[in-house]
Amino acid sequence: MAGIEGSPGSSMHGVTGREPVHAFSVASPIVPTDTTAKFDLPVDSEHKAKKFKLFSFANPHMRTFHLSWISFFTCFVSTFAAAPLVPIIRDNLNLTKSDIGNAGVASVSGSIFSRLVMGAVCDLLGPRYGCAFLVMLSAPTVFCMSLVSSAGGYVAVRFMIGFSLATFVSCQYWMSTMFNSKIIGTVNGTAAGWGNMGGGATQLIMPVLYDIIKKTGSTPFTAWRIAFFIPGWLHIIMGILVMTLGQDLPDGNLSALQKKGDVAKDQFGRVLWYAVTNYRTWIFVLLYGYSMGVELSTDNVIAEYFYDRFDLKLHLAGIIAATFGMANLLARPFGGFASDYSARYFGMRGRLWTLWILQTLGGVFCLLLGRADSLPLAVAFMIIFSIGAQAACGATFGVIPFISRRSLGVISGLAGAGGNFGSGLTQLLFFSTSKYTTEMGLEYMGIMIICCTLPVMLVHFPQWGSMFLPPSKKASEEHYYTAEYTEEEVQKGMHHNSLKFAENSRSERGNRIASAPTPPNATPNYV
Amino acid sequence: MATNACLVVSLWISCLLATTHAATFSSLQRTLVLTASPQAGQVLKAGEDNITLAWSLNTTFASGIDSTYKTITVELCYAPISQKDRGWRKTVDELAKDKTCQHNIVKKPYTSSNTTFTWTVRKDVPGATYFVRAYALDSAGKEVAFGQTTDAHKTTNLFEVEAITGRHVSLDIASACFSAFSIVSLLGFFFMDKRKAKSSK
Repeated sequence: MAGIEGSPGSSMHGVTGREPVHAFSVASPIVPTDTTAKFDLPVDSEHKAKKFKLFSFANPHMRTFHLSWISFFTCFVSTFAAAPLVPIIRDNLNLTKSDIGNAGVASVSGSIFSRLVMGAVCDLLGPRYGCAFLVMLSAPTVFCMSLVSSAGGYVAVRFMIGFSLATFVSCQYWMSTMFNSKIIGTVNGTAAGWGNMGGGATQLIMPVLYDIIKKTGSTPFTAWRIAFFIPGWLHIIMGILVMTLGQDLPDGNLSALQKKGDVAKDQFGRVLWYAVTNYRTWIFVLLYGYSMGVELSTDNVIAEYFYDRFDLKLHLAGIIAATFGMANLLARPFGGFASDYSARYFGMRGRLWTLWILQTLGGVFCLLLGRADSLPLAVAFMIIFSIGAQAACGATFGVIPFISRRSLGVISGLAGAGGNFGSGLTQLLFFSTSKYTTEMGLEYMGIMIICCTLPVMLVHFPQWGSMFLPPSKKASEEHYYTAEYTEEEVQKGMHHNSLKFAENSRSERGNRIASAPTPPNATPNYV
Repeated sequence: MATNACLVVSLWISCLLATTHAATFSSLQRTLVLTASPQAGQVLKAGEDNITLAWSLNTTFASGIDSTYKTITVELCYAPISQKDRGWRKTVDELAKDKTCQHNIVKKPYTSSNTTFTWTVRKDVPGATYFVRAYALDSAGKEVAFGQTTDAHKTTNLFEVEAITGRHVSLDIASACFSAFSIVSLLGFFFMDKRKAKSSK
């Protein structure tokens, strides 16, 4: 198959030893810049940005970033908006402990299904429509909260609001169409992490809104209902912004480009087949269930845990709960950054080791959190647990874009669904019955995290290797990504985007390819 | 010198014991007689109906037992059926941690003669089964005696409160309007987009 000698830029990798160390940009020799493109940021051959300029809103790359993460943040706010108000809601609706536990499971279960569907929608219709449709169609479910008058209604509405968490998939997918693979870990980690922060922010926002509304004269049982209008309005505002300001790809919108013939339309059946038959997909589904999954479960139980075990006042327990979720501001981007940084030196093998270390660390500190008897120790362990679990989420999505180019959407969707499934399962097993106290539940959850992270050792890429095995000498990126198309499809030229992607993903070999100098008369083996 | 030291140490130990000795419900004597107007099984509407309470000292006890009573605080308390599966209403002997009585009705200075009070059930009282309990507090605010409208097992003379739903017609209408706006504007933008794409072909 095509060798790597002479492929544009690769021979310069690491030679000067003076590459910038931070993961917010990719220097030109490493990934060639497409100088014909007219964008605000330097772009590669697919017109994906090579640089991540955080405080810019320039179209399309950075604007997409901000639209995407804020939409996802809004959905997290509305999904977990009930959690800090449970003490009022449980009195208004006469809820029992199992009603509250069931509602917690329901709030994360709805999106198992919607994330799977969203993956397919992104592949076929584009992330812009996916995001806008979901955000605006879930706004009525948020407004429905003010109509609820029974335990059944409460569980049903939380289930429906939970569907909106599928914006995670559109967010990650949209990022990977806009940003180069060398910085995708950091970008995805930041976008998703800041979105996840919504689960922490809501523990601060909703009680404040409730207090303000009560001060204007409402009774408590009406005030919490009015408070839910604010997340509902946020949904509508973000949906309109995404529709008017967003675009699917750096060069335009999916339907316009498909009509122009620039982007080949794909078949859902084949996309699904290649996702499902790749064993790495399923390992990452499990892994994400025990990084994101435990984060969601903890979001639902941690305030109550501190309130009961350490006899804290509700607002103080809420602040601690918010801290857990808000750690996402830095923890998840850090995970993506750590993944990208380790890839610089060790390629994909570095990414896999980083993921294993971070997630296992999270599991150990979850176990210790359950065991902690004093408040300062418990808070310290909780913070380290949150950093480990959330950074692991970021590191997971540093690897997922490389599992498949063709079925990226479906695999993202499956992994996202796995996250929620893990959360629902963990809450059901350890936090919904009186069989285990909450501290025992946390201990067992920690043990389960450590065990369910071990399968990452089985993930092997022929061209890059795995945690313990080196790459095969004859394997190449082109071969791996072209294998997703049949002979017929290759004849039709459907695999061209995958070839471009394969070229750009060469960086996952790590420093090893640095030593080969460029032969003076070399021409590239492929265009 | 030695006796001085002993005195100081014993004083210090007794202070310590006094502060760490938390008040428990089982240590309280039921010296107050408390009656409430609701009949057993009656349903009261929150925000509308009244409860009339009357309390006095039970004269069968030795006189002087009420020498430490400074204030009476009357509370609305959850009956066992409303505590089931609801750990946040749990009865615990240590009074500082007890969650049985969460709604204060009135706090008045103590007099040994009969006192009455009429209370409108507040709008934030949840729908549940209740009884009424009065605590006598000493000058430090610590509970020293109690009285309640039910028996020791909290099974007799319980009444219900029907809470407000918290829903309003105006909220329902606002919900419907905003939901409709969301769906209509989504479809509006979608079709506008499609038309633009067709015309740019």
